[in-house]
Amino acid sequence: MLGRLVETESGRRLGRCRDMRAALGSGGPKVNALVVGRRGRLEHFGIGTPKGQTPDAVPWEAVVRIERDRIVVRDGTEIV
Amino acid sequence: MTDSIDLGLNLLDHQLLDAENRRCGKVDDLALEGGPGEELELVAILCGPGVWRGRAGLIGRAAAWLGGGRRVRIPWDDVAEVGSHVKLRKRAAELGLGRGDDRVRPYLDKIPGSDR
Amino acid sequence: MKIFQVALGILAAIGGFVDIGDLVFNVSAGATFGYQLLWVVVIGVVGIVVYSEMCGRVAAVSGKAVFDAVRERVGFKAGLAALISAQVVNLMTLTAEVGGVAICLQLLSGLPYRWLIVIAGVGLLVVVWVTAFEWIERIFGYGGLCLLVFAVAAVKLHPEWGAVGHGFVPHVSAESPLLYTYFAVGLLGAAMTPYEVYFYSSGGVEERWGPKDLGLNRVNAMIGYGLGGFLSFALMITGGALFLERGIEPEFLGSITLGAEVPLGQIGLLLALVGILFAVGGAAIDTLFSGAYNLAQFLGWEWGRYRHPRGAPRFTVTWFVLLVLALGLVLTGVDPVQLTEYAVIFSAVALPLTYIPIFLVANDRTYMREYTNGRLANVLGLLYLVVITIVAVTAIPLLILTNVGQN
Repeated sequence: MLGRLVETESGRRLGRCRDMRAALGSGGPKVNALVVGRRGRLEHFGIGTPKGQTPDAVPWEAVVRIERDRIVVRDGTEIV
Repeated sequence: MTDSIDLGLNLLDHQLLDAENRRCGKVDDLALEGGPGEELELVAILCGPGVWRGRAGLIGRAAAWLGGGRRVRIPWDDVAEVGSHVKLRKRAAELGLGRGDDRVRPYLDKIPGSDR
Repeated sequence: MKIFQVALGILAAIGGFVDIGDLVFNVSAGATFGYQLLWVVVIGVVGIVVYSEMCGRVAAVSGKAVFDAVRERVGFKAGLAALISAQVVNLMTLTAEVGGVAICLQLLSGLPYRWLIVIAGVGLLVVVWVTAFEWIERIFGYGGLCLLVFAVAAVKLHPEWGAVGHGFVPHVSAESPLLYTYFAVGLLGAAMTPYEVYFYSSGGVEERWGPKDLGLNRVNAMIGYGLGGFLSFALMITGGALFLERGIEPEFLGSITLGAEVPLGQIGLLLALVGILFAVGGAAIDTLFSGAYNLAQFLGWEWGRYRHPRGAPRFTVTWFVLLVLALGLVLTGVDPVQLTEYAVIFSAVALPLTYIPIFLVANDRTYMREYTNGRLANVLGLLYLVVITIVAVTAIPLLILTNVGQN
């Protein structure tokens, strides 16, 4: 899934999926967000502000479907 | 932020340490279960040359073939903690890891001084 | 204790900084351009000091060696590319060094070269198998100090010190600019050869450095590579003073030792040979381990001399196989000095893949906690990334255009 384009249903591009964020808890980690876009890439290399302080992710609940070359999210989804 | 990890950043390609702190491979891939609209859960860590096939195109497939194509699946329950390494709850042999080292060791033991 | 710990820096430096690549390129540069390229050596020394300090810090704070962190940071695909290029260059360098050791043994003993290749290989094998890491450092580090004879020789040859001083000022030669640039690229490639930093950082983990050793790391890097730089100056000055006017091209290791023999006689020759033997031998061990470290660290195997052979079986087999491969290649009759030129130039091409991940990791707070790069390390680090990218891109074209430095 990493590297795929993230777009809304109406075709608006949000960026590329850089990573997946998961919450630790009982059982396995549950994915709660996709790290998207340029901000995500820099932080991926550990440079700049610590993760979570700037908007860099799209919530998992917003994902509508996964196609071969892109990930489609609901209209109106923003990077938070 | 509550306890959360970035799967690519904090897990993928990280060193695996078994319960005795032996190095026993890297996190070569992750097994997720679920899909859009439902829960997506990380259920296992995948390890071994066979897992590289999907990760580096042609060279990955060549490397997988060279390495013997084994795949090892480590259920998430066997993960003790995730820090700069991924610490496992069991010993490598119990999980099917580090087999290369175990197979080579008997030959080295025949040579004097292999424990120095 | 502290003195012995500095030995790691000295071995890595003498063995790494004054390996066969530095010997060949520094003396050749002196023979071709006199003292004009001394300033390039300075740039090389500063570069390797800056990046060794970074690597050492990564090892001390995160407990990881460079290649450990490379795959984690840049991923499987890029990491694999870095691994493959590193191993290819490594094997070339190792082959040249094993051949160099054999040549030294031949010059010292007069025995046939082919036997000495095998003796060199077996000797290295035994030393590595039997000796503990710290003792390897000490033996080869201190033995390599015999190379200081070249510093004495340089002075005794009465070079024109004004010209020497002028050589430290950056400038471009008016005649043969292409060949001049080729040598500059070669000198930088030889000074910052990738296996040096891989070995240094893995050595730091072998010695279980922690945050309290950061000062030691800095001293190691500066003294060790500083000393290496000083020896490189001596080599170039000797080459310039002795060979330039006589028009001698030092194509053989034997020619290089003339630099010590002419001003200092038999004792100079002996010290030079012993120094070269230990320096190149030490470099061979550095390179050998570096190859094994890289593979084991990329794949997640247990590794390290401190784990003893049975504790790190595949790691042990790896360095054994590499040594046998290098031996085989030397036995095919390839000329070690010629091979060295190619090895250095290919090392130059591999520089960005080596140093960019180091720079990224050294800035990464998840590994380095509060010990990430300071401003100086970042400014210099970034500057050198630019320099090595230029070097990497121009290396092969220059190799071709100057017909491997003949022109």
